Amino acid sequence: MVRLITHNMLACHVKNCTKDNFPLSFSDVELVVRPAPENLEFIQRFLPKLDWSALVDTARSLGDESLPEQMPDQWTEEQLKALHHVLMELHVEEGNMTCRGCGHVYPISNGIPNMLLAEHEVGR
Amino acid sequence: MPQYILRISLDHTSFRIPSLLSVSQVFNFAIRFISKDKYRGLLVIELEKEEDVHHILARDTLVLSACELYASGDTYEELHEQMKGNLKVLEPYLHSSFKFTLEGANHRVLDKRVTETVESFAYTELKGKIQMKDPEEEFVIFEDYDWEVAHTVEARIKRDGKFRHVYFGRRVGFGKARLLPTVHDVKARAYYGNTSMDSHMGFLMAGQALPAPGKIIYDPFVGTGSMLYASAHWGAYVMGSDIDGRQIRGKAKGKEVKPGILRAAAQYGTEDLFLDCLTYDVTKSPIRRGGWVDAIITDPPYGVRAGAKRLGRKEGGRPLRDEPYMFPDGTYSHLMPGYLPPSRPYELANLTKDLVQLARWLLVPGGRLVFFLPTVTEDYQEVDVPVVEGMRELKVGEGSVQDFGKWGRRLITMEKTAQDDGPPPTFEDHEEFDIRNQPDHLPGHHGFRDRYATGFSSRKKSENASPAGTPPVLEPVVSLGSGDKV
Repeated sequence: MVRLITHNMLACHVKNCTKDNFPLSFSDVELVVRPAPENLEFIQRFLPKLDWSALVDTARSLGDESLPEQMPDQWTEEQLKALHHVLMELHVEEGNMTCRGCGHVYPISNGIPNMLLAEHEVGR
Repeated sequence: MPQYILRISLDHTSFRIPSLLSVSQVFNFAIRFISKDKYRGLLVIELEKEEDVHHILARDTLVLSACELYASGDTYEELHEQMKGNLKVLEPYLHSSFKFTLEGANHRVLDKRVTETVESFAYTELKGKIQMKDPEEEFVIFEDYDWEVAHTVEARIKRDGKFRHVYFGRRVGFGKARLLPTVHDVKARAYYGNTSMDSHMGFLMAGQALPAPGKIIYDPFVGTGSMLYASAHWGAYVMGSDIDGRQIRGKAKGKEVKPGILRAAAQYGTEDLFLDCLTYDVTKSPIRRGGWVDAIITDPPYGVRAGAKRLGRKEGGRPLRDEPYMFPDGTYSHLMPGYLPPSRPYELANLTKDLVQLARWLLVPGGRLVFFLPTVTEDYQEVDVPVVEGMRELKVGEGSVQDFGKWGRRLITMEKTAQDDGPPPTFEDHEEFDIRNQPDHLPGHHGFRDRYATGFSSRKKSENASPAGTPPVLEPVVSLGSGDKV
């Protein structure tokens, strides 16, 4: 788990961290590809919720170059399939997600990220 | 429009109508309830087409079987009279092989009466072969009895034939979802914990969230994941978060160990629908935007079996650190493996209101929030369900309640009526629930953990016993009887 669809919805939430807190950058990643049944209609409906440039950058950092720099206006089925692969089939099982703003490291183990804040990061 | 008789379970009766409605909402068909009393073992409904009844049979865990209704009456005379004027409905089946079945709701009809009753339908002049095994059509006579205790054979004989209503129809099919709660039985699940929800209730709850392929359903207090298995069974993508990651993982440790929730999901063949499970406190959550979740479904921690926690420190204690703590050897405490930040109790009335506000932000327009609200029966009032602009409660009659006597839990279903996302909730403690402000009314679920531990003693008394603002220190619950000493 930690699929890119979820990763695209997560930002650093340490108190007062508001700059460069999204997207979190991956490091020391153990990547697993697990084929998932396609639901391209869902992918298309989800498009407006995505932050495209964050997704493209993240996918590239994981070695997947299949997404175009700009979000296409008209989608071909092939492009949607590539997006499905990036969003749903890439699983980061081990590694870290690091905030580029404050440097907080969110470790991932067994596919579950620990996103609890430390005491001094909570804020009131 | 055709009418159908549903033979329907007498369990969870207050969930029955919402459950049927949710099926009609998922598949977008109209359903009309014909029976005056909607809570008997037989329920007559009206649908546009037979396809709709198959959706109900495939999906509703409470429905045992469905028949197309041809005639009914309070007596057999009335039934036959109506049927004789309606014989054309049988034309398509005149030459099909068939059998007759006599079923009783709340009563098993005596064998000796079966033959004469079936023979009284001779006027239907069905010409097909009578075939008891695998006939093409099955015609069913339903006798609907009041619920009554009849322990002895004599009582059963005395009662036989004294039904309230009798129906006649053709069997359309049997409930296919009936077995799902057994298939998902917690005892046979690959992974569960002491807070896992009974599988049937899980399905009834999930139904309210209208799960379907291509929807995202989220549980912010996911625990061992029991809310998600039923949702994923109907094809929805699911995700969960919890402040306590141990609940998601289970005890087994190691790099190759699959988290507990995924092991159970794999058992049900839905692992690929589990988008993600994350460890965080939903009140300090990393979710960056709203408006993308189709339903939130959760059984929030009542504080009884699992303590409801959020990050922070208890009021009156040491304040939160502003700077990281450094050990004498120069390492930071929060960077040590196994570091757990401090947490404080999350009072249920605050949690509930936060949950509705979270839904207001996170859901898509028309999305649903489904959760259990445990509440002290004596103190519950309708206003206890949090009112938040942009969210509307969907309720049938008195609502769906699981009654345990002094307390009960209500299944609350809400719909997001707002079209925008609005601002994210702040998760500040709500002043209206602070006993120091001496509110006129505290919800029946306020301080639920303490009420449970004190055997639900009346609020007035317990207020005298413990001054406001300093709840008693709680020991593990060992006895529920009020005043019992163990």
